[in-house]
Amino acid sequence: MNFKEQLGKKLLFFDGAMGTLLQKQGLKPGELPEIWNITKEEIILNIHKRYLEAGADIIKANTFGINPFKMEGTGYTCEELTKKGIGLVKRAIAETGKEAYTALDIGSLGKLLEPLGDLPFEKAYEAFCPMCIAGEQAGADLCLIETMNDTYEMKAAVLAAKEHTSLPVVATMVFDESGKLLTGADMEAAVAMLEGLRVDAIGLNCGFGPDVMKGFLPKLREICSLPLVLNPNAGLPVVVDGKACFQVEPGVFAIVMKEIAQEGVSVLGGCCGTTPSHIQALVEACKGMEPLAVTDKNRSVVSSYTHAVAFGDRPRIIGERINPTGKPRFKQALREKDMEYIYREALAQQDRGAHILDVNVGLPEIDEVGMMREAVAGLQGITGLPLQIDTSDGAAMEAAMRLYNGKPLVNSVNGKQESMDTVFPLVAKYGGMVVCLTLDEGGIPSTAEGRIKIAEKIIAEAAKYGIGKKDLLIDTLAMTISTGQENAQATLDALEYVRRKLGIHTVLGVSNISFGLPQREKINTAFFTIALSKGLSAGIVNPGSDAMMAAYYASCALNGSDSQCAGYIRRYSEQEGQPQPLPAGTGELTLYEAVVKGLSESAGQAAKKELQGKDALSVIDGSLIPALDDVGQGFEKKTVFLPQLLMSAEAAKAGFDAIKEHLKAKGGASASKGTVVIATVKGDIHDIGKNIVKVLLENYGFQVIDLGKDVPPEAVLEAAKEHQARLVGLSALMTTTVANMEATIRLLKKELPGCKVMVGGAVLTQTYADMIGADFYSKDAMGSVRYANTLFAGAPA
Amino acid sequence: MEVDRKEALRYLGYGRQEADGQTLQLLEEVAAELERSSSPKSIYQEYACKVQGDRVEVGALSVTSSSLARNLEGCVRAVVLAATIGRAADLMIKRYSVSNLAKAAIAQAAGAAYIESYVDEAEDEIRTGAHGRGLYLRPRFSPGYGDFPLECQKDIFAMLECSKRIGVTLTEGNLMMPSKSVTALIGLAPQEPEGCPLHACSQCAHTGCGFRREEG
Repeated sequence: MNFKEQLGKKLLFFDGAMGTLLQKQGLKPGELPEIWNITKEEIILNIHKRYLEAGADIIKANTFGINPFKMEGTGYTCEELTKKGIGLVKRAIAETGKEAYTALDIGSLGKLLEPLGDLPFEKAYEAFCPMCIAGEQAGADLCLIETMNDTYEMKAAVLAAKEHTSLPVVATMVFDESGKLLTGADMEAAVAMLEGLRVDAIGLNCGFGPDVMKGFLPKLREICSLPLVLNPNAGLPVVVDGKACFQVEPGVFAIVMKEIAQEGVSVLGGCCGTTPSHIQALVEACKGMEPLAVTDKNRSVVSSYTHAVAFGDRPRIIGERINPTGKPRFKQALREKDMEYIYREALAQQDRGAHILDVNVGLPEIDEVGMMREAVAGLQGITGLPLQIDTSDGAAMEAAMRLYNGKPLVNSVNGKQESMDTVFPLVAKYGGMVVCLTLDEGGIPSTAEGRIKIAEKIIAEAAKYGIGKKDLLIDTLAMTISTGQENAQATLDALEYVRRKLGIHTVLGVSNISFGLPQREKINTAFFTIALSKGLSAGIVNPGSDAMMAAYYASCALNGSDSQCAGYIRRYSEQEGQPQPLPAGTGELTLYEAVVKGLSESAGQAAKKELQGKDALSVIDGSLIPALDDVGQGFEKKTVFLPQLLMSAEAAKAGFDAIKEHLKAKGGASASKGTVVIATVKGDIHDIGKNIVKVLLENYGFQVIDLGKDVPPEAVLEAAKEHQARLVGLSALMTTTVANMEATIRLLKKELPGCKVMVGGAVLTQTYADMIGADFYSKDAMGSVRYANTLFAGAPA
Repeated sequence: MEVDRKEALRYLGYGRQEADGQTLQLLEEVAAELERSSSPKSIYQEYACKVQGDRVEVGALSVTSSSLARNLEGCVRAVVLAATIGRAADLMIKRYSVSNLAKAAIAQAAGAAYIESYVDEAEDEIRTGAHGRGLYLRPRFSPGYGDFPLECQKDIFAMLECSKRIGVTLTEGNLMMPSKSVTALIGLAPQEPEGCPLHACSQCAHTGCGFRREEG
């Protein structure tokens, strides 16, 4: 019997804590316990033996803390410590004559991944690889990835284990008292992702004692279709004499753990504070018990880094707006790599009630793989909504699925063999639900029967990859009724059959139904309503359409999926007096007034109005700039404060957008006053000040190339060269990163002597700025605008 | 625990000035969101404290720093503390940097005020425990203050297992993420310090700082 065959079929027992016992043997706080694999191997060996004698079936090798970051400078490599660690367990097993499995134990890197931290996902993945490879080579029977509090890091570790070994993977995480990871992810999100990644067992460890963990069980059992693992602490740590102590006694531990086994956990052991006595008591208490059967919970679910979205009785809204098709402005944003435009589309759809966001960033003239990577990474930094990865490019699809922090929705596969050969292996590897278009080599069947047949073909092919019906969303393809009125019926009949007879969830790109007709929304809402009544599980729609959202909320209220009409009431009860009145005195604001008051919407409207009577330049010079100047002066005199300055900046931006649109419609383009490259220097990750400078510079008509945060000197130089920028702005928050600012200035001065550098940031002063060779020190955001204005006014652009 | 609105406004640059209605409304929205979505966590441990000249030893932490030595002079014990309000503030700042920059600046200020209040709470708890043993607290002192090197973050993180216990990590440059996090040493002395305890501002070399508080 191997581990995988026994998993879930009989109760298996992990050992308990290692660190706790090592501390008793003199391990100092901060000392790396894994080095003892070499320096004090007898101690490690003996602990393994004690756990084997206590009855543990799985022994965790002393490899938890091994990773390239922690081993740096210790004189030991990850490989040798891992191999030695595995070897000690094998030796303990041989010397005691017991039967047990050896677990390669992998813990957190102790680094935070991008976008919040500074560790790129692929670097995290690479960091896990050496332990996985060495662990399997040394003879580990399974890989335990434990004490993780971030799904993203967990994903990196699981991929490293899966791609470099054939070991079974057990994944356990630390949740807090509210049942969430430190990243804010709930259990459903974590379980959805891990099941998608095809790990072999899922569970919890550390954090709490068995009593608290038991409280998480009902939820876990409801959502998880894999064998469950629980390795709690011996209670919560209590600090005695400056040391953390765990005080739940073996007997008490075993009693609660037995109840946990009775509730369906089939792999049990201990974490911090547990000892061989705890494990012995546990094994004895559970003697003769059989585990409960593991059942498929049959959940259709996708997830983000915060939460899961399940398909069930309540239909879901998939926002369709992140897609260049038929949108010149969006295409322009993609060509100019204007990611903020895309992010704003995402947030607007979120505000409007989308549950999932479709992401399509394909244009023939751009690098779709690179753009997809950037969009997925960026979007999951600003929105917690699950993403639907929408591309026909297999490489872009894989890049996105790999980087995605959760279980994505994939759009799409179809009945063509080539499509299924490309998409299903990716879904089997990275996890995901997948939209299945009912078309194949023969095109789109005109009848419902034809589409159902293709759906059945796709279902059968998916099954070959172990992808069940629960992970499919069948799209029976809305085709415009302008070319054939029977189209709607075929789509709806097929949809109803798939949902009711095949029991599979369905999805439609709803608005296709009205292509070529006037006032399409009228057809779209009616079709959407009918489709929902036929069992549509999700509509790919524009959440910005009030009519579509109204059709959705009304349908949910009518079909009972919106319990007590709560969603409907919440959305519409406050809108009865709409359109909402503007704040007093804002009815008819001039552009100047709107900017000064910081009202974006009014500013946009007022700009449009002024453009009817004046040319663009006089609107800018006559209203926008004077308003910004007045606010800016107020800011410098301390009668206006940062939030107001920024509200005005945003309002001015709305005004500029209206002007740009106006110019574009007339075939012109807005002129830039000059190009400024800005960046937060290497090592620094605080970039809000830089972002503020950016918006203000843009307001004053500069083209700003924003390189982001943690930017190395070479990248600043490269951008300054590429854009022939005469001005570079650098920000740094910490004294320690001012050194990198100095290095950046030195490089720029050497390579581009004509380029001026302005600096700002919390720790800087005029003296400091002079010392590091900056041309200008800006004490606040307005200062940078003033300097840029003077600089670019003084010489031809 | 609530976000101290007054303190957040101070960080935004409002001195004695009243904030306008729009700003107050945004602050209220942001503060409520922050309170709802943050999960503050802290961990601290007490160690023996030895000060000799500029040399300070607290548990496994051993460092030469004259400003830290001055702060801990006369202390027999010292608490090493780490606290965070979690990632919500960082995520909000990121999100609002795209959709509403004023709110991003307010989230930044509210997050800073929130972590300060949270650390104050932890400090009160430590104070109560210390008073029971006849010990008094010195003002908390963090890596990066004076000549207390940021490098020491590494030792503090190893001593407290910050990443595992409260989810705070260090970047390559020893900055903490989530950014609204604090580490500090708090000296415990058998006597109350003479005179008024000085606020940490008075020990900072950055005398031109707009946020400097002159009195304790």
